[in-house]
Amino acid sequence: MSSDRRGPRAAWRAAPSGLLTTPALAWIALFFVAPVGLVFWYSLGRKPGLYQTHANDVLTLDRYREALGDTFLTSFAGTLRIGLAGTALCLAIGLPFAYWLAVKVRPHRRFVVLALVLVPFWTNFLIRTIGWQVVLSPEGFASHAMQSLGLIDTPFSMLFTRGAVLLGVVYNYLPMMILPLYVALDRVDGSLREASKDLGANRWRTALQVTLPLARPGIAAGLLLVFIPLMGDYVTAAVLGGARGNMVGQLVASQFQQAQNWALGSAMAVVLIVVIALTILATAAAGAACTWLLTHRRRRELAGIAEGSPA
Amino acid sequence: MNHHDHTPRLLAPAARVAGLPRRTFLAGLAAAASVPLLAACGGSKGSGGSGSAAAELRAYSWSAYDDPKVLADFAAKYGPKVLVDSYSSNEEMIAKLAAAKGTSGYDIVIPTGVFVPQMAANGLLQELDHAKLPNLANLDKAFQNQEWDQGNKYTVTKYWGTTGFVYDTRVVKRDLKTWDDFFDAAQKEASGKTSLVDDPGEICAMLCFARGWHQSTTDKAQLDQIETFLVDTLARHIAAFDSSPGSSAIPQGTHALMHCWNGDARRGILASGDQDRWKWVLPGPKTNLWMDNWAIVKGSANADAAHELINYVLDPAVAVKQVDFVGYGSGVTGSEEEAKKLKLGLIDMIFPSAEQLTTMYTGVINEGQERRMAIVNRMKAKAGA
Repeated sequence: MSSDRRGPRAAWRAAPSGLLTTPALAWIALFFVAPVGLVFWYSLGRKPGLYQTHANDVLTLDRYREALGDTFLTSFAGTLRIGLAGTALCLAIGLPFAYWLAVKVRPHRRFVVLALVLVPFWTNFLIRTIGWQVVLSPEGFASHAMQSLGLIDTPFSMLFTRGAVLLGVVYNYLPMMILPLYVALDRVDGSLREASKDLGANRWRTALQVTLPLARPGIAAGLLLVFIPLMGDYVTAAVLGGARGNMVGQLVASQFQQAQNWALGSAMAVVLIVVIALTILATAAAGAACTWLLTHRRRRELAGIAEGSPA
Repeated sequence: MNHHDHTPRLLAPAARVAGLPRRTFLAGLAAAASVPLLAACGGSKGSGGSGSAAAELRAYSWSAYDDPKVLADFAAKYGPKVLVDSYSSNEEMIAKLAAAKGTSGYDIVIPTGVFVPQMAANGLLQELDHAKLPNLANLDKAFQNQEWDQGNKYTVTKYWGTTGFVYDTRVVKRDLKTWDDFFDAAQKEASGKTSLVDDPGEICAMLCFARGWHQSTTDKAQLDQIETFLVDTLARHIAAFDSSPGSSAIPQGTHALMHCWNGDARRGILASGDQDRWKWVLPGPKTNLWMDNWAIVKGSANADAAHELINYVLDPAVAVKQVDFVGYGSGVTGSEEEAKKLKLGLIDMIFPSAEQLTTMYTGVINEGQERRMAIVNRMKAKAGA
C-alpha cells in the first residue's frame, strides 16, 4: 500500500538490493561454484576399477600426492615457460600498438584499425592454428616461397619447435592484450601529457611517469586475459609444437578422456587452479612492490627538489 | 608370462551400476542445470525396434571410418540417413554409453574386439538378430567366432588392421625392418623428426614387440624397463604424438619417421605428391593385430535399420568401397580379390601376406593400463621439457 503512494519507480528502488545481483550470483553459483566444487569433491576420491571413473567412498588426499609427481611438475614448468614468454611477447607487441592506436591514429580511422585487429576472431581459432601448421610445414607455403627465392636450400621446418608455439600463442592471444590496453590508453586525458611536456618532461619520462601509470588497470587486465587462458590452453601448443608443446592442460585432459581417472584428473585441475592463482598473486605483489619503490624514490626526489628550491 | 591370462573386470558388475558414483555427478548436474533440460536430453530414448522406417541412424564411431558415398547410397536405398559422431578411444565411448544407461541416442558403436565381453556383460550392447543379417555368411570364417565374441552374438567384424611405421627415404637412406631399427633411426637420422601414435597401449607395446614380451604386459620389471627406455632414451627424439599422420604429416612431409596404423599410413602415402618417397614397414619380430566391430547399442530405437546397415556393408561390392576408403581389411570373403581386380592403390598395405599375419597378435585389457598411461604422460612431459 505504501508503494502505491511512492509510485512504481520508488518501489523498484525500495526492492532489496540483493535482488538485482541475483542473476549474477546464480550464474556464478551454477557455472563456477558448482563445477569447481564437484571437481574438488572428486579430487578427494579414488578410481576404484579399470572402467569406473571415480568413487568417493573413501576420502583421501592420495590423489594430490600422485598429482604433484615428477610428470606434473615437469609439464607445469614447460607450461609456465610458454605462459610467461607468450604473455611477455603479447605485452611487448601489444603495448606500442595500443599506444599508437589510441594516441597517434586519427579518431575516425581508429575504428578501421580496431576492426582489422578483430577480424581474425571471426574464424574459429582451431582453424587458424591449423592454418599455421600448413604454412609452417616443410612442404608448406613459407618453405616453398623461401626456397624459390633462393633464401634456403633445404625445406625449412619451423613446425614442432618452441618458436612455432610462441608464434601461435602470440597470434591467437594478441587481441586479448591489445583491446584492454587500447581502452585504458584511450581514456588517458591528452591534456595530462601536454602538462607533463609543459613542465619539462621529455617523451620517455611522460610515457613512463604519466601515461603508463594511468594505463595500469589496462595492463593488468591484458596480462590476466592472456596469461590465464593461455595456461589452460593446450590446443595451440599441441598443434604447432607437437611434443615440444606439451602443456599441463593435456595431462589433465588425458586423465579424464584416456585414463578415465576423474579423481586424479580433478586433483590435477585443483592443483593447477591453485598454482595459477599463486603465480598471479606473486606477480601482482611484485608489481605492487615495483610501483611502491618507484613512487617512493620519486617522492624523495621531489621532496629534495622542494627543499632545495628556495635556496 | 602368465600375467595376461586373467581377464580383468572392465566395468562395474551390473548389480553395482545402480550405485555407481557417476550418479553423484548426474545429481550434481541436475542441481546445477534445470531438470527439464536433462529430460529433454533423454528425449531421444525410443521404445526399441520401431522398424526400418527410421528417418535416421546415429552411429558413434572412430573418425573417418566410413566412405561417405557408401552411407549416402545406403540412405538412398533404405531410407535412414546415417549420422556419425566420432570418439578417439574405446574408453571414451564406453564411458559415454555407461553414463547414459541406454539413453545415449546412439544406435551403432564400433568397439575394438577386446572391449566387447565387458561391454556385453554390462548390458551396453544388444544381441544381434542373425535372421536379419543374411550377408553374415559373406564374412570370412577367420573373422567370425572370435574368442571375445563366440558365435558373433553381439558383434560383426568391421575392419582389422595392424601397427607399423612409415619413413621418408630421403632422410633415412637405409632399410628399416624391425622395431629396433625404428628406435635406432629415431635416435639418429630421424631424431626430432619422429612421431608416435597418441595411444599409451601402442607406445608401450613397441618395446614389448622388440623384446618378445607380451604387448599387454603387467610384469613390473618389464614395465619399469619400458618406462626407462621411453622416458630417458626415446622421449627427447620425439617431435609429436600424432594418431593420424596420414591426414597431414605424410602429405606435408612434416616428419621423417612415423609410428602409425596401416590404413592411415596408406591414406597419407596416397595423398602425398611423391609416393615413392615414403616406405611402409610392418616391423618384426612381432606387431599388433586388432579388430573393430559393428555392434548395436542396447536401447537403440532403430535396431532394424541398424541391422540393415550392417547387412548392407557385408555385401562384397560395398565392402570393397569401404576398404578402399579407410585402407583396412574388412574380413568380407572375396574383398581382397575384388580389391585386386579393381587395382586399389597400395593394396599390400591393406592385406598383409600370410607370412606377415603370423607375426601379429592381439593385446588384452588389463590392470597394466593405468601404469602405461602414467609412463606415456611422463614421456610426454620429458619430450616437452
